[in-house]
Amino acid sequence: MEFLVVSVLNGVVHGLLLFMVSAGLTLIFGMMGVLNFAHAWFYMLGAYVGFTLSRTVGFWAGLIAAPIIAGAGGMLVERYMLRRVHKYGHAHELLLTFGLAFIIEEVIKLFYGDFPVNYAMPPYMKFSAFTIYDTNYPFYRLFMGIVALAMFAVLYVVLTRTRVGIIVRAATYRPVMVEALGHNLPMVFMGVFAAGAALAGLAGAVAGAFFPTGPNMAVDFGTLVFVVVVVGGLGSLEGALVASLMIGLFISFSVGFNWSLSDVLGLVGLGDWARGVGGLLTLQLSTIAASMPFLLMLLVLLIRPAGLFGDRQ
Amino acid sequence: MSRSGRTGLLALVAILLVLPLPLTPNLVNAAIKMMIAGLFALSFSLAMGQAGMLSFGHSAYYGLGAFATLHLMKAVEGHLVAWPTPLLPLAGAAVGLFFGLVFGWLATQRTGVYFAMVTLALAELLFTLAPTWNSVFGGESGISTMRMNSWAIDFATDTGVYYLTLAWVALSTWCLWAFTRTPMGRLALAVRENEHRVRFLGFNTHGARTVIFAISTMFTGVAGALLAIANEATNYTIFSAQASANVVLQTFIGGAGTFFGPALGAAIMTFFARVTSDLTRSWLLYQGLVFVLVMLFVPDGIGGLISLHARRLRATAVRHLTLPYLLCLVVGLLLLAGVVFTVESVHVVLSDAYAVLRRGNGGALVPYTLFGRKFDPVSPWTWAIPVGSIAAGAALLPLARRLTRRGWSQALLETTA
Amino acid sequence: MRKFWVALALAGAGCWATGTAEAEPVKIAIIETLSGGQAAVGKMFLTAINYGLIKLNNEKVWPDGIKVLEYDNQGGPSEAADKMKAAINDGAHIIIQGASSAIGGQITDDVRKHNLRNPGKEIIYFNVGAEAMEFTGSRCHFYHFRWNGNAEIRLRALLTAMKDANALGKKVYVIGQNYSWGHDVQRLVKEYSAFGGYTVVGDVIHDVNKIQDFAPYVAKIKEANPDTVITGNWSSDLLLLMKAAGDSGLKVRFGTYWMDQPGNVANAGATAIGHYNVSSYYPEANGTATAQFADDFKAKMGQYPVFVQGHTVHGIWGLGEALKKMKPGPDGKVNVKQLALAMETVSFNTSMGEVAMRKEDHQVLLPLVVATVSKEAKYKVDGTDMGFKPVRLVSGKDAASPVQSTCKMERPGS
Repeated sequence: MEFLVVSVLNGVVHGLLLFMVSAGLTLIFGMMGVLNFAHAWFYMLGAYVGFTLSRTVGFWAGLIAAPIIAGAGGMLVERYMLRRVHKYGHAHELLLTFGLAFIIEEVIKLFYGDFPVNYAMPPYMKFSAFTIYDTNYPFYRLFMGIVALAMFAVLYVVLTRTRVGIIVRAATYRPVMVEALGHNLPMVFMGVFAAGAALAGLAGAVAGAFFPTGPNMAVDFGTLVFVVVVVGGLGSLEGALVASLMIGLFISFSVGFNWSLSDVLGLVGLGDWARGVGGLLTLQLSTIAASMPFLLMLLVLLIRPAGLFGDRQ
Repeated sequence: MSRSGRTGLLALVAILLVLPLPLTPNLVNAAIKMMIAGLFALSFSLAMGQAGMLSFGHSAYYGLGAFATLHLMKAVEGHLVAWPTPLLPLAGAAVGLFFGLVFGWLATQRTGVYFAMVTLALAELLFTLAPTWNSVFGGESGISTMRMNSWAIDFATDTGVYYLTLAWVALSTWCLWAFTRTPMGRLALAVRENEHRVRFLGFNTHGARTVIFAISTMFTGVAGALLAIANEATNYTIFSAQASANVVLQTFIGGAGTFFGPALGAAIMTFFARVTSDLTRSWLLYQGLVFVLVMLFVPDGIGGLISLHARRLRATAVRHLTLPYLLCLVVGLLLLAGVVFTVESVHVVLSDAYAVLRRGNGGALVPYTLFGRKFDPVSPWTWAIPVGSIAAGAALLPLARRLTRRGWSQALLETTA
Repeated sequence: MRKFWVALALAGAGCWATGTAEAEPVKIAIIETLSGGQAAVGKMFLTAINYGLIKLNNEKVWPDGIKVLEYDNQGGPSEAADKMKAAINDGAHIIIQGASSAIGGQITDDVRKHNLRNPGKEIIYFNVGAEAMEFTGSRCHFYHFRWNGNAEIRLRALLTAMKDANALGKKVYVIGQNYSWGHDVQRLVKEYSAFGGYTVVGDVIHDVNKIQDFAPYVAKIKEANPDTVITGNWSSDLLLLMKAAGDSGLKVRFGTYWMDQPGNVANAGATAIGHYNVSSYYPEANGTATAQFADDFKAKMGQYPVFVQGHTVHGIWGLGEALKKMKPGPDGKVNVKQLALAMETVSFNTSMGEVAMRKEDHQVLLPLVVATVSKEAKYKVDGTDMGFKPVRLVSGKDAASPVQSTCKMERPGS
């Protein structure tokens, strides 16, 4: 029972963190078809901005400035780089963002050094929210969860209830028609990209205070973000949320299980043979917990490529 | 192929044949690595450029080819099997083909971005599972073995390996080129352009794409095998997404639309990485800049650029372009000098060694050493160098563009006249 | 005119008589990870090596000096192999590397094969960082010298110190990364249960550098209810584990190998206090001797020595000792085989105690120090108010692990 509750709690919060980072990407990908490889690097940029400002001005100033700066960066990238490359195809866009990721990381390393920096949350946030089964639950995790849910709520409301949101959603399906109706489509694209980058930046500023902020932080998240977006469905906000939660819970639960294929085979009496063969068959689930999302992505892509909630082929 | 193309090719082959003679073993090794990267890129380009299948996990087949070859080499070393060294790449080819068929059948059920994601997922799975399966992948330190001499050729030195690599790369390149001339190769192009139509013409596009993918991975396996022979070892990091992304980048920098473009891109970027990594610590930044600039301004890649000139201009008409291009080169060098100076200066000023100097002088901003000369960080003259360089480059840029445009129109006029 | 020719002839004869000493500096090639993800660690090795060479150059251990060549292995074994060929081309006698066991594995095998294929032109691999057991086990060879610790000797030192300080307890949990290093540590912790007087109540292996949230693993550890958790984790794996443990209020003692990696203490914050770490050097390990070393290092290189830098410097000094025992050959060249023979019997004193190279497997007998993270340390780290307060200094001989039976070193016929 304890294992269940703790795992659910951990999984949900981890999932919400993933959502925070990938919310922006699913918008960009769904809307513009741009596989923004540099998305996790906007996350990193946000974290470093948060770090810089938390040392000079204050933690909350960092939280406000990070999305603004990341969003501005995103705007510049879209206007001057992606727009040029758009006509050459998806591969070129992807490779451009790949090069961009390198540049962002190296410039940050140039100014901040190669080691993780001490981006810490303010002391008054460093307490435990509650104690469950003898384990303390840090308040900051809840804070991250709240920020993630707030992000979801704001995005959802904007996309479904406001005029801007309607235009954005229409542009996802019928961009040419939207332009014909007189809307400034390039501006819409730029806005979406900037918003996506800003969300990543905010995620960085919030999460960077909890997780280590260092030059490798983007690489660690980089590929997982794609898994979330693909599994959830390109362009679907709800899908990204559900997929993030799924992955977070899955990782959380699988850590507790020492099952391996040989155990499953043991059910039909082939356990000892499997153990003798070794290798993949004795691989325990807890060991490869973090690799499972890719298997999930593979299965989703093969069975239902539109993802869980997506309906765009 | 045109006559000039044929002579160019013969000249290239001749140069490659005599290359090891004047070069040191170190440079011969560099040439071997460049050729292997070129083959990897060419095989990738078969799937990408010809058939429009952007595969993001090609390093999986590269690595599988390498590991298969290493296991065979180990068997030969342990006298379990007698297999001549020059035929080792066949193991890589076989494994590449097999896994290409299996994974390709799975992946080609989807197209476009989804296809790319499937290949990425497959490669990542392999990357995460490989370090755990020690008997096959050797764990963290990988598998290591030694080349055995065969057929009275000495493979202990790099020269022997060079000719082996050259032979296989030449053979594979010819096969890949010949493939584009076969009906199946033509089918690949058709599938890229309009898969729907091809299906309605009665072809089994899924099968066709699988076969094309498998042929591409077969030659990737050969490239992996050649790497295994050259390095005599490999470990699971060969499966990384980084390696997959590198080959995609090299292909596009070289030009995905031409046949030799990817090989050219691979050779250049491999050489670039090797040389700049020892010159500066920020070489990844420069590499990222190269990627971004090429994607923005040379979308057809270097090969595409060359092909553009070769196709549209007559040889004599090129003289109209020498002056404009020279000016462009000057502009490029000015901008490059400015950027490099700034980046390297920042690097030196923020380094620990400089902090030591400052502490020794009571915290003052003392002159720092760069490129063998001393520069004063507070002096305006120091910053005048990069600013002036970039400003000069930016000022000359419109002129260079105008001259280039004029040169082109003159050259085209002469060609069509 | 005749005088001129006589003088010239005499001068010529004089030159010829003193011997054409076309002397050669000792060339050291540092093939390190200087860019990319692991660059931070690679650069630390570089700094330490350069500091060590200052002393060697001052003492003129080799008449023609020591020349250093730097190569960036770009973080990959294949590129490391390329740079090694470049280094050999540039005449390197010694290859130094430390930042990665995978790259070390490539280099040690390449060095062995090169020496087999080019007798008379041997090179030495100076290992200052790869700690996997196999380097002095199944992969040992005559021209490899390991100047750093390995999983076993560090564990011996850690267990000795923790047991003496009554911090070990009776129940130990081991968590590690899923590759050879993590497996080595896991196996050794189980083997040493009698030595440490504990039982292993649980173990888990996890993906390397992929886990962002260690809370589930902390939950597992809590279930097993150990007194101490031993882990060979490094970098973000260690950091996140400790943060998760601290956040959840898990009451265990951590025994770690790599807590002193720069950035770890800063990011872990107060969570790190009280945990044990084994290292090859701390400024307060041995009174004024180690403190002097720290101050001198800081004066010359700009920072206090941390992490792997202590034993790297000692390794370079070991090279100096070996060079002192030799002279240039009649042709002025460096005889690498002789250097290796001299190096394998090197033994000298450092601020941490005696450092000696073991002939049988070329593993250095490294003095180690076990410390806790504490606010009472004099030398603070990472710009925080905490530092490493030594608990016990373990001599090289005490920490030494037995020669592995898998090491079958082929010695060259002298």
